[in-house]
Amino acid sequence: MDEQKRAEFKKVLREIKNLPTLPGIVAKLGKMAENPDTTTEQMGRVISKDHILASKLLKLVNSAFYGFPQRISSLNSAIILLGFNVIKSLIISASIFEVMESQDVELWEHSLGCAVVCNVLARHLGVKDPEEISTAGLIHDIGKVAIKMELPREYEMITALSLEKKISRLEAEQEILGLDHAEVGSWLAKSWNLPNKLVEPIACHHEPQLAKEEQQASAIVHFANILIRGLGYGHAGDIWVPPLNNKAWKLLALAPADIDPLLQEIEEKLWDVKGFSLDIQTAPEGAA
Amino acid sequence: MQRILLAQAEPGMILAKEILNPEGMVLCGAGTALSEPLIARLSGLDVVDVTVEGHPVNIEGEKTLQEELQEIDLRFQRVEDIVPLMYLKKRIKAKLAASRSTV
Repeated sequence: MDEQKRAEFKKVLREIKNLPTLPGIVAKLGKMAENPDTTTEQMGRVISKDHILASKLLKLVNSAFYGFPQRISSLNSAIILLGFNVIKSLIISASIFEVMESQDVELWEHSLGCAVVCNVLARHLGVKDPEEISTAGLIHDIGKVAIKMELPREYEMITALSLEKKISRLEAEQEILGLDHAEVGSWLAKSWNLPNKLVEPIACHHEPQLAKEEQQASAIVHFANILIRGLGYGHAGDIWVPPLNNKAWKLLALAPADIDPLLQEIEEKLWDVKGFSLDIQTAPEGAA
Repeated sequence: MQRILLAQAEPGMILAKEILNPEGMVLCGAGTALSEPLIARLSGLDVVDVTVEGHPVNIEGEKTLQEELQEIDLRFQRVEDIVPLMYLKKRIKAKLAASRSTV
């Protein structure tokens, strides 16, 4: 790999011009959360000033990948139930996904599916904030979107190389760019000031053994990505199920007997998110 | 189980999932056998699709079970040396085969 070229790609991807900047509301809410006197009502008022954002948020909260037993109809109860961190990551996902959905429908489907699997696994393992893991699953491939938007020519080359040599997209990225979507995604996540609970699983979803603080979250996103690819739901750029890291697998400690019930639960939830879109103008598909 | 349009539903099909109205209220429970009057009533309630047991409706352009099983094998081709993933593949295939049996 030509070092100079690699540095060039790195620069372009780090400067990212085409991806959305986060709405100012995220920074504002961040400040509010640091103030211990902020109330749920105050926060709810700030969010509800942006009607579109507020309805997207509620739609996301009520979708199958967060799996609340009852419908959450107000922002205030969403904030109380989900906690501030989750709401913040939801606002971020809602903004990112507008781009992702319009850029690559199949990758969006893959990401939705991955989020569903993350949620089911996180609940099964009794993780404290399963919603955060779902969000990590939702945006784990954001680096792919960045590469597509910033380096469209190289993106095509990566696709061609992966098909020609029958290698994974990840390997083709490393060959052509000298870096990969996990790395790119982690830069983006950091530049948006996302919490480490989201940054590390994005950075390590192919190498969960490298996670330093968020080992469990990284292991969940790692296996969720494998599982959703195994099911053939959506399309993430190549058809191959990626290898499973042994350390992550041990950490998850899933028994063979767990697999069938998990698959059943995942299948049912995938039905529910089919056709899910954050576009609030579209009527939800399958009103049944 | 198969998700079909209410227009494709026929008497005798068994609901695999409950039918909810947009407010999340159960209109009809899982396990219910569909009948002509029930289908008519659901249609009056603006139900668009239902999930039924088995795989009663052949959708044009849909892959056969054999094709889908082959695709699963292909997807897992590069991880054939990883034992837990081979088990996962086996279970995914078993589940697919079971969902396609019409019994």
